[in-house]
Amino acid sequence: MSNQEEILAALKEAVVEYEEDDCAEAAQRALDEGIDPMVAVMDGLAAGMEEVGVLFDTNEYFVPEVLMCADALYKGLDILRPHITLDADIPKASVVIGSIQGDVHDIGKNLVKMMFDVAGWDVHDLGRDVPLESFVEKQLDVKSDVLAMSAMMTTTMMGMKKVIAMVKEKNPDCLIMLGGAPVTRDVANLFGADGYAESAGNAVSEGIKMIGRLREFQKGDIK
Amino acid sequence: MSELTGKERVQKLFKKEPLDTMPCFSGQGAVVVQAIEEMGTQFAKIHTDARLMAQSAITSARLFNMDGVVIPYDMATVAEAMGRGISLYENADGVIYPTVPNKWKTLDEIDIPKDYMSQGRLPMIDEAFKIIKEEAPDLAVGAWVLGPFTLAGQIMELDILLKGLKKNKDATAAFLDQVTQVTVDMVKHYQELDVDFISVRDMGSGTDLLSPRMWKTLVGPNLKKVFDAITCVPSVNHICGSTDMIIEMMHECGADALSVDQKNNVVTTREKLGNDVLLFGNFDPYNTLTQLEDVKEVEAVIKQCIDNGLDAVWPGCDIWPDIRKENMETYVKTVKEYGKKASPAVGRI
Repeated sequence: MSNQEEILAALKEAVVEYEEDDCAEAAQRALDEGIDPMVAVMDGLAAGMEEVGVLFDTNEYFVPEVLMCADALYKGLDILRPHITLDADIPKASVVIGSIQGDVHDIGKNLVKMMFDVAGWDVHDLGRDVPLESFVEKQLDVKSDVLAMSAMMTTTMMGMKKVIAMVKEKNPDCLIMLGGAPVTRDVANLFGADGYAESAGNAVSEGIKMIGRLREFQKGDIK
Repeated sequence: MSELTGKERVQKLFKKEPLDTMPCFSGQGAVVVQAIEEMGTQFAKIHTDARLMAQSAITSARLFNMDGVVIPYDMATVAEAMGRGISLYENADGVIYPTVPNKWKTLDEIDIPKDYMSQGRLPMIDEAFKIIKEEAPDLAVGAWVLGPFTLAGQIMELDILLKGLKKNKDATAAFLDQVTQVTVDMVKHYQELDVDFISVRDMGSGTDLLSPRMWKTLVGPNLKKVFDAITCVPSVNHICGSTDMIIEMMHECGADALSVDQKNNVVTTREKLGNDVLLFGNFDPYNTLTQLEDVKEVEAVIKQCIDNGLDAVWPGCDIWPDIRKENMETYVKTVKEYGKKASPAVGRI
């Protein structure tokens, strides 16, 4: 195994085994050894998270373990991200994300946010229990490519419909992504949203699948 | 023989005595906007005033011929009484349930006040129970409390709690013991109010979040302590989300009845538990009562619940208050007509 392969494997294992210190150490080693930090993120950290997704889908890991894996991933990401050089010709994608007013749950939202962080997007996290008008104001202010909203409970999801209508009226090009336990694909369609992730559980699976797609894209498997 | 009142029907159900038909009631919130409109008030106001809470519960039941009521409507009452605050969304449009704005962020910060039972809205809720019992003696009166794990997630940050289950096991288990005692005190208190049943909802503990192994060690034993403390009134163990992998352990907690949501495979559950166990559930309330546009589809959902072997058709979660009137009418009518046949645990007169 080459030095690079060994370090990428260490990053991956640290995420899967939710070892935060090991992940930070492996990330630093990647920088010290001159490994492209984007490769370390995608083939180390994101690859580890993909394996976590498999463990979650097969009922080997549950949400507590996934949260700890995400903590480990962020330890590595915080070290690697400042060293990633961006292509000046390509505008950086951005997302406004938050849990809707009346909803104080943010586990699913934070897992989806992780996916955007890994991909290197500008993430504007409004937090939770976010008033409807704050989503609209922020989206119009930063002109984000995506607006992602989460509602964990049925009782809070109706607010999403209002936000979508307000944003689409002023900025029809903004893609809208909905997530949360009570949101079904039918409801997302009904509300006029462009994407959807189901529950905290499905956010794990869906978010990780999206990371997988990013990795394929980077390798040129997807054009 | 005269027709049974709703209260009698529910009481007999829990005793597994023969009934005229299946009672239609819920242990989850069942307040509807039609009742709130008839009263000329707003959703945000029915959580803080005993009379409005009692009247909205009674009016909701009367409008649709339900057999019982259940209060309060939100899950923030105990956390608020512990000083965690309350967001009522009084100026927001439409229906938003109260939430807890200031959860504790670490185990070290937790300081449960001794006098919480007399704080926040808890005394007001006691008054609402009194009004309902006086003004609607024919209706079954249900109380509900959060199970220890879900209550813990209401008073401290859920992600910290979930990670604590793995990273900081002993301290987290000690915290859950403390919260279990709160739930025990609450169910003892509601027993003293002489309600007709108590539903314990540990809705955050399904296997969407926790492993069955974790449930067995950190959720089940605490729920058992709660059900051991309910000695004078019937009790219901409700968990929404995925319950197929833990249903037998739920049964071992000792409640008089189990309630599950639409994710549970009721046919398999019935096979696992046998016909003697009271089993409630399990339709999707938002889809069935708010989304379906043809009442024939509503009827089919409710009939399927009964055919699958449930003893009472309960929504899997709170009824979304902005229901379609005709869907709610069809739910109740179908339960009362199609429920004339015996259910697995309860015969018919």
